Amino acid sequence: MPEQSDGLERAIRILKEPVQIDRELDQRVMAEIESVPVPGVWSRRFWTALDWLRRGRTVRVSPLGGLGFAAGIVILVLIARSWIAPQEPSAPVATEADGSTVQFVIVAPAAAQVSLVGDFNDWSSAATPMHRVDGNGVWEVTVPLDAGRYRYAFLVDGNTWLGDPSAPPALDDEFGRPGSVVTIGEL
Amino acid sequence: MGIHDVTGESDAALIARVMAGEPDAYGGLVSRYRDRLGRYAVRMLGNAEDAEDALQEAFVRGYRSLARCTDPEKFGAWLFTILVNRCRTIGKQRARRQQLVIQDEAAVGRASVNHTEDRHALRETIERAMAQLSPTTREAFLLKHVEELSYDEAAGGGRACRNKVMD
Repeated sequence: MPEQSDGLERAIRILKEPVQIDRELDQRVMAEIESVPVPGVWSRRFWTALDWLRRGRTVRVSPLGGLGFAAGIVILVLIARSWIAPQEPSAPVATEADGSTVQFVIVAPAAAQVSLVGDFNDWSSAATPMHRVDGNGVWEVTVPLDAGRYRYAFLVDGNTWLGDPSAPPALDDEFGRPGSVVTIGEL
Repeated sequence: MGIHDVTGESDAALIARVMAGEPDAYGGLVSRYRDRLGRYAVRMLGNAEDAEDALQEAFVRGYRSLARCTDPEKFGAWLFTILVNRCRTIGKQRARRQQLVIQDEAAVGRASVNHTEDRHALRETIERAMAQLSPTTREAFLLKHVEELSYDEAAGGGRACRNKVMD
């Protein structure tokens, strides 16, 4: 083994010996780049900025600074949500009118028709049409319900399913549609 | 364009001059890196003609892409990466021409060494051994043991310089 290692080291020493390259190569290179535009400063800044963005970095913040940063993010998210949230229809509400009837309300100014569909009407789009109650696009319907747990949704113009953000979401819809849950009485 | 004696001027300073509109300053980088890069090219490709072609192309490509070398301190490693890629391309082209590695006696003869008979015999043995290596293995061997570059250095050229355009 020592002989092999010694032989390898000798070989590497020989391979490391300098090799002279034709000095005219310099002239050829310079002649060729003469026709190439000078690399742009702005181009360099672009690549520098791109590298800066790609590089990972550690940021140190004080606890107070971190709190402020987190608060800023929350505010930004809230603002973004208010921009992104659909303007209409909005604020559907299911209100328990008394022990056996529940009033469902949705604001959908642009809707031509709205139906309430759910476990209580076998998800029929025709069984429980909602009624426009004023010029502001408020739709409502009151449904008699026995005690129990019901999944429901609003069907707008026969093709748009909406859950009720004011009620717990129904996570067990077999078809993955948005829906909500209303619970009447004590189960 | 002339070649300038730039002894003592850093790579970063030369690159800054080029970027400021002095393309002649690039000549300083060419003369600084010519021999070291040339040694790799000759050992890798086995003949001076191909090696000088690879070297010239690497220098010109380096100039064209100089804006992408955002960390001038790593210019040498970055340029090396360009050369490695050029050698790969030329090596593939040459493989089609069925040439053998290290057949150019002139390239061998230019090495500035004292040629004793034993040494010459050893050199031939080494050249034959190198020729039997696959290009990938030969490249890795030369980069690690002869040029003493880490594979990352040679393959990445320093991440501060962007090398996507080199082939």
